[in-house]
Amino acid sequence: MKSRSLRVRLLFGAAVAIFLALAAAWFVMTLLFERHIERRVHADLVRDGMQLAADVSTGADGTPLLRREPGDARFAEPASGLYWQVTTARGSVRSRSLWDQSLPVAQLTSTRDWNTRFIAGPFEEQLLLVERVVKPDRDGPEVLLQVGTENKSLHEARREFGTELALFMLLLWAILAAAAWSQVALGLRPLARVRDEVDSLKRSPRERMAAAPAQEVEPLVRAINELADAREKDLTRARRRAADLAHALKTPLAAIAAQSRRAREAGAVDAADGLDRAIQSASAAVDRELARSRAAAIRGAPGSAAALPVVEAVVGVVERAEFVAQVVFEVNVPADLTVPVAAEDLLELLGALIENAARYAKRRVRIDGAISGGSRVLRVEDDGPGIDPGQMAGAFTRGARLDESGGGHGFGLAIAQDLAEATGAQIALARSELGGLEVSIIWKPSLTPT
Amino acid sequence: MRALVVEDEAEVADDLARALQAAGFVVDIAADGDDAWFKGNTEDYDVAILDLGLPRLDGLSVLRRWRDDNRQFPVIIVSARNDWTEKVAGIEAGADDYLGKPFEIVELIARVRGLVRRAGGLASSSIRFGELVLDTHRMSATYAGRPIRLSQLEFRFLHYVAHQGGRAVSAGELAEHLYGAAEAGDTNAIEALVVRLRRKIAPEVIETRRGFGYLLAGDSR
Repeated sequence: MKSRSLRVRLLFGAAVAIFLALAAAWFVMTLLFERHIERRVHADLVRDGMQLAADVSTGADGTPLLRREPGDARFAEPASGLYWQVTTARGSVRSRSLWDQSLPVAQLTSTRDWNTRFIAGPFEEQLLLVERVVKPDRDGPEVLLQVGTENKSLHEARREFGTELALFMLLLWAILAAAAWSQVALGLRPLARVRDEVDSLKRSPRERMAAAPAQEVEPLVRAINELADAREKDLTRARRRAADLAHALKTPLAAIAAQSRRAREAGAVDAADGLDRAIQSASAAVDRELARSRAAAIRGAPGSAAALPVVEAVVGVVERAEFVAQVVFEVNVPADLTVPVAAEDLLELLGALIENAARYAKRRVRIDGAISGGSRVLRVEDDGPGIDPGQMAGAFTRGARLDESGGGHGFGLAIAQDLAEATGAQIALARSELGGLEVSIIWKPSLTPT
Repeated sequence: MRALVVEDEAEVADDLARALQAAGFVVDIAADGDDAWFKGNTEDYDVAILDLGLPRLDGLSVLRRWRDDNRQFPVIIVSARNDWTEKVAGIEAGADDYLGKPFEIVELIARVRGLVRRAGGLASSSIRFGELVLDTHRMSATYAGRPIRLSQLEFRFLHYVAHQGGRAVSAGELAEHLYGAAEAGDTNAIEALVVRLRRKIAPEVIETRRGFGYLLAGDSR
């Protein structure tokens, strides 16, 4: 089965290619070694043959005569593997090493070069034989000079060389395969980085990949970023459409509310009540969807905003309302406090919380900001009735209405929690020292702007 | 009392007109931005109810043009766009209040009445104390020429202290005036209000006379 792993495929390919290359190298090197040895042996045999040629002559009866035999001691040792033989038509002389054997005589014509051939020699040996026909005397007969050496040691040298070379080649193959492994690992490392960054793209549509770690990966990174752009545009378009749809529904809802009032005035109280309930739940659904689409848009978005101007902008809106005619807003947010959220998103988050607090406050709403243990904290408190500690855990339930008369802390808190979590913050409820509810939004150090 | 209803959705406009008429207003309706701008510029209204999503000229532009032309009648924005960004933009463009759609007509009428009462209930147009000038018509202030937006409570505080002829007013008396006789003992909110006003306007704008109370700095004119 074909492996799906690029690493395995590359490694397998490299190992096979290196093996084939080394095997070819082994074969060629062994062949070259063999030929080199043969040339050396051939040269030695020719040198001995030349010595024979220098010392040979023929007798009056045509038999060969040798003034001096070649000096190599192996010529005197029977079956030593090194032999010479001098032959004429009338007879022959040969080295003692041939003992009672002789070298096969071929029909040769007189040449200037030594002839070389492999033959089945005496003592069941394979011989490398060099031979030449010379004429020692101008008027004398031709003489065949033959010098041979057994071929077995040549084969042994070649085999030993081949074995040692093969071991070395195997070691070399292992080293080169390891090098190929390192190279593949190094080469694939940019892809691992790409994989990690693609993971971060999954977490947030606003993330983009950093510059390509290698030139070859650059087109891939560019393509992925273009894909991310297209995805973000689609998401933004979808969210905008959801928001536009939600907004577009509000005006018809206001028109249905008008119809409901007319129905009520005309005496159809039950019908008007039904319409009002439907309008109320439709409005709540629309607000939830708007908050959800905003929270989704915020999620993972980088941003940083000074808290004080946003708090003042929200207070500036809330304090216009008739229901806060007797409420004083205490703002204790340092001018240099920044939080890791875009200003418009912080506006929605604080808007939900501060309006909620103002709606329930009797006299006072307090907004504090601080950096505590590296975390950035914004706190909104009121002196209203607050939430019973037993109900605090359920306060974030979407649409929970803890107080039916005033729109409920719950709905504003659920929206605020969605938004706060989308910005990576934690939201905590407590009883305020003013007497009412205290809501803290906490951004841990890893998320705070530098 | 004259009210201008600026709303392109006929059903909603009729409903608003009927409710305002029932509350004693004479109502004109404008169904697009151009018509709204023209009517607001040529007629005297006591209040305008302004939708933002209008044909031809959007509501915020209408509001800015009115304010640029010094048309100072109170404006309450009624909009389907209920984002805080939109609310802040509306208030900064010169609106006096903001209500999201769909709304309770009772709440709208209460807010309209509140705006009209605040705008029309004070005879004098401005009071000056040193660098502080209170505009009693718009319930706003300037300090050394810098405009300052005030909440109803903040304005009522400054207005009351300004009318005491340089006398220091105790926190208890202020609490009684602002919150009613039963609340005279609760002075924490008054202290918080003074802190807020000093921060909003200038630290020296309100003086504290130990044992007596608060007064505005500077001479009245």
